[in-house]
Amino acid sequence: MPKILRVLFWIAVSVLGALALATIALHRGEQINALWLVVAAVATYAVGYRFYSSFISAKVLALDPLRATPAERLDNGRDFVPTNRWVVFGHHFAAIAGPGPLVGPVLAAQFGYLPGTLWIIAGAVLGGCVQDFVILLFSVRRDGKSLTEMAKSEIGRLGGVVAYVAVLSIIVILLGATALIVVNALKSSPWGTFTIAMTMPIAVLMGFYLRRIRPGKVLETSVLGFVLVVAAIFGGQWVSETPSWAAIFTLTAPTLAILIIIYGFAASSLPVWLLLAPRDYLSTFVKLGTISLLAVGIVALRPSLRMPPLTRFADGSGPVFAGTIFPFAFITIACGAVSGFHSLISSGTTPKLIRREPETRLVGYGGMIAESMVAIMAMIAASVLQPGVYFAVNSPAGIVGQAPEAAATTISSWGFPVTAAQMATLAHAVGEQTLYNRTGGAPAFAVGMAQIFSNTLGGQAVMALWYHFAIMFEALFILTIIDAGTRVGRFMLQDALGHIWKPLGRTSWYPSILFTSAVIVAAWGNFLWQGIRDPLGGINSLWPLFGICNQLLATVALCVATTIIVKMGRSRYVLVTLIPLCWLVAVTFTASWHKVLDPNPRIGFLAHARQLAAAGANPRLIFNDRLDAAVTGVLVVMVAMILIESGFECMRVVTGQKLAATKEAPFVRTMLALEEQA
Amino acid sequence: MSMLCGAGAPAREMLEARTHRARVSAIPAAIIRSFKLLAAILREIFDESAYQRFLERGQLESSPNAYAVFQQENEQAKSRRPRCC
Repeated sequence: MPKILRVLFWIAVSVLGALALATIALHRGEQINALWLVVAAVATYAVGYRFYSSFISAKVLALDPLRATPAERLDNGRDFVPTNRWVVFGHHFAAIAGPGPLVGPVLAAQFGYLPGTLWIIAGAVLGGCVQDFVILLFSVRRDGKSLTEMAKSEIGRLGGVVAYVAVLSIIVILLGATALIVVNALKSSPWGTFTIAMTMPIAVLMGFYLRRIRPGKVLETSVLGFVLVVAAIFGGQWVSETPSWAAIFTLTAPTLAILIIIYGFAASSLPVWLLLAPRDYLSTFVKLGTISLLAVGIVALRPSLRMPPLTRFADGSGPVFAGTIFPFAFITIACGAVSGFHSLISSGTTPKLIRREPETRLVGYGGMIAESMVAIMAMIAASVLQPGVYFAVNSPAGIVGQAPEAAATTISSWGFPVTAAQMATLAHAVGEQTLYNRTGGAPAFAVGMAQIFSNTLGGQAVMALWYHFAIMFEALFILTIIDAGTRVGRFMLQDALGHIWKPLGRTSWYPSILFTSAVIVAAWGNFLWQGIRDPLGGINSLWPLFGICNQLLATVALCVATTIIVKMGRSRYVLVTLIPLCWLVAVTFTASWHKVLDPNPRIGFLAHARQLAAAGANPRLIFNDRLDAAVTGVLVVMVAMILIESGFECMRVVTGQKLAATKEAPFVRTMLALEEQA
Repeated sequence: MSMLCGAGAPAREMLEARTHRARVSAIPAAIIRSFKLLAAILREIFDESAYQRFLERGQLESSPNAYAVFQQENEQAKSRRPRCC
């Protein structure tokens, strides 16, 4: 394309993006079409990718197409394999996309669609994409080292310890919070519970099929598993309409919590091939398919957003979770904007597959753009709901009351009209007994997704099937995270305990497997139990805690990246990582301060504990609040220590007290460039 | 000059027609390439490529036993692979 046309094209994209952003930001009083959000996001991502990531590639990181990557130098056909960049992109995206970008935006929609949407777009382009990109490149230049190892070698021993503790904490809290989402989605829902229960024998069947009948044919097996899961959704409808079966699968929240805890323990101790691997494949298959389908549905239907751009809950009195937009919107939406967890993937499998250095831009920066787009779709799914319905589904009984009439009256009094009859009709349409108090974001997302899907394919008659498909998709997703996360946590614990007593570090020694599995399951099970006992619905305390942990991990990742940039002698470009780092420090430290010390019992853990103590509540509930406060406090102090250590390290380099040198692997010229030229 | 133009016109038309044909025939090729790439991405995500590499490395035929050894070899790596939230 001639240069002038290229320039005109990018001017047009920028103007279109600005127009779309202005429309979603300034429109008041009327519904706007969801496509404005899509256009704003796509145009901003395109400009960000074309110009900002290009600037980072050339000036900050100086990507070298002639430098051999570890995938080429250490190619062993197993861990290190030079792989096509689009294949690595797909692999990386499948690993970073989880329930976070779906749940966070749905919860943050209580502020209206505007704050969350702006944060998703700006946070991704200036923060999340940058973090994923630079950490991926730095790991590539260090033979695929993990974030923890890089923190240790570039900042100091404390950096490694803090990264380790942050990772373990985030895994535990993530598992507790996401398990609570599943419990809230499945409680008193025989249809959903049956469908999810059936995914376990289906996974075992897939495991046997894969191992005995068609070895290695994973895609074929996943298609078979998917067909069986769809059959289970239809079976679930029959179960819910058959009173004797419905009674068996109608479970309370505590029963579901116990079953999930038992499941987590079993999945962590059983051989991988039997349950974990086939479920993982099935979950990935459903995930990729559903996300693509949702994107097509939004573009085809172009729904209007019924949620206003800003709601009255910007003042911090929101029923879904308490707290003002700053800082709580920014920790509620982590995945989709900036997620510390991604730095683990960017310094895990992905760097070992990268064929050429310049490809880190597509995989790191581009992969996060794709994840951010998923978050935009989740925001749309939540915002197409009538606000009254959204709040009826997402508000805990402790805020709006148990009785349908009382809940409808309370929500209507906030200015979001809804009636008990309307909610009953909707519950009937999606095949549920009730949709009140289904906190956690998943059911609201499922209702929104079912509305979009049923308007695209099948009409209102199949809304119940779409709703349960969406619930199955989310629960399957989350249960896969629970079994995989419990295992990762178990391995991390075994690695650490192995330093104390060697046999505990042996990953194949069964007593160690059982012991460490039990410890990890007990840790997240405690948070789950706390969530279902919490009169405020659990999500109010657990999701912000998870968000704080995740963003603190992002703080550690950006701290490592900033230190490395300074040590590379590129201090003049340090703002690229320093600005998102400062922003995250402001967000996480303010949020932590509020969550620990705020005098409002709906926000501050300690104030809530005091309120419970004054009311003579169960000591266990009081302990839970104090535990949450302690976890938050310890993490903040540790991250503050790593910030200080990193700051001193940077100062030493900048003032010349220390030689600016990083711990990169030595330069080796790539042979792939010659092969490509030939 | 006019002769040149007269002689050039059919040649140009032929060239344009050939370019057009080449463009048209390039579309199915691009679609096939895209599908191949998509299949490669899915095979990598679903570990089919990893299994293929394992077979090539050990010069083995696919069988239940070979797949069991492959899974055993990958168990640690797969278990330690974090899944994002």
